[in-house]
Amino acid sequence: MSELRCIVVTPERTARDEPASFVALPLFDGEIGIAPGRIPLIGRLGFGELRITGQDGRVERYYVEGGFVEVMGNVVSVLTGRAVPAEELDEAVSKELLDAARERVAHSPEAMAVRERAVVQARAQLRVARRARIGGTR
Amino acid sequence: MAKARALDKRRRAIRNIRKITRTMELISTARFRRAMDRATAATAYTRRITALVSHLARSGLEVSHPLLEPRPRPLKAILLTLTANRGFCGGYNAAVMRLAAPRWKALQNEVPEARLEVSGKRGIAAFRFRGVQADATYLHFEHNPVFGEVEILADRYLEAFETHQLDQLEVVYTKFENLSRQYAVVETLLPLAGIEGAEEEAGEAEGTPYEFLPSARSILDEVVPTSFKMRLFKCFLDAAVSEQIARMVAMKAATENADTMISTLTMTYNRARQTQITSELLEVISGANALMDEG
Repeated sequence: MSELRCIVVTPERTARDEPASFVALPLFDGEIGIAPGRIPLIGRLGFGELRITGQDGRVERYYVEGGFVEVMGNVVSVLTGRAVPAEELDEAVSKELLDAARERVAHSPEAMAVRERAVVQARAQLRVARRARIGGTR
Repeated sequence: MAKARALDKRRRAIRNIRKITRTMELISTARFRRAMDRATAATAYTRRITALVSHLARSGLEVSHPLLEPRPRPLKAILLTLTANRGFCGGYNAAVMRLAAPRWKALQNEVPEARLEVSGKRGIAAFRFRGVQADATYLHFEHNPVFGEVEILADRYLEAFETHQLDQLEVVYTKFENLSRQYAVVETLLPLAGIEGAEEEAGEAEGTPYEFLPSARSILDEVVPTSFKMRLFKCFLDAAVSEQIARMVAMKAATENADTMISTLTMTYNRARQTQITSELLEVISGANALMDEG
């Protein structure tokens, strides 16, 4: 079976460019798994955990914050503003972010949408941080 | 001996200054390389986004977004000025200020509510000198701007724009065209003038038939803000790269000037020393001659 190649690009650098056997991505409206041989896809990413299963079966976890994924042939390109290895997230910081987001005052529909986005983002970050601490399985 | 010693002292002082300017030149060369690498990485990212937009456009989607719509009567505007935190970089800061100060004056007449934001100590000081107090100042953008920090700014502008707290965002910065050409420009970032790749003809679907998840429209909703963030990031990167180039050039010129000064001073010093020796010799000889005449 052919192999996937997973490229993670942030505006500052190429964070990862290695082969993988399976990639799980947080899309905007739910998770998607990509195995070799998928048809071409462009997807919008949400906030959440990017899991890359390497050839040796080891799972790498990243927290990604929005962006896009493009699947073309067997190349998965993840374009994201931020890609942090899940172990490097600090649960306390994420918790603070969530509290701050919740306490924002919103008086108009647009402002409420902005707040909603901030809350969802902080929650996702917290979830990824927790999962990394508990260690692996969901 | 007095004159020769003074010359030597001056020569030594210039040698010290030369050491400093030479070091600064080397430092900015190293920083320039790093900033350049970052700019290259950002360009790679932008290229991928552009390709994405053209795929979207080819799928027949009309590219439109609130951020792309011009606002005919702007009420609130922000002028963001990017300058350096340090001097010793030739005309870099002056060039930006020459553009920013008149633009700020004009903007105040055009828009009822104008805000001035300045990044860099030099710009803040220059505006203060002109009697203008900036509404917000940033000092933390150094020789390599971090995307995360720029993103915080970008998110704030986007939020303000969406909630109609902001109608127009202009940035004054130094654009990096190539190694030998950088110039200050004023650019309007919000509303966005358009996004690259959107001009692709629809229906020309020779490319790969992509599946869009959740939908092409939803992807576009994310592409446009990302494109804005990248533009703003690019402004900061360009400014950082240009600053290092300006400093490199200025310090190189300073080092060369120091070199010419040292050689002129060395010559004058040698001459002065030689004159002194000659006059001393003359004194000794004429003294000896006088003694001989007497004896």
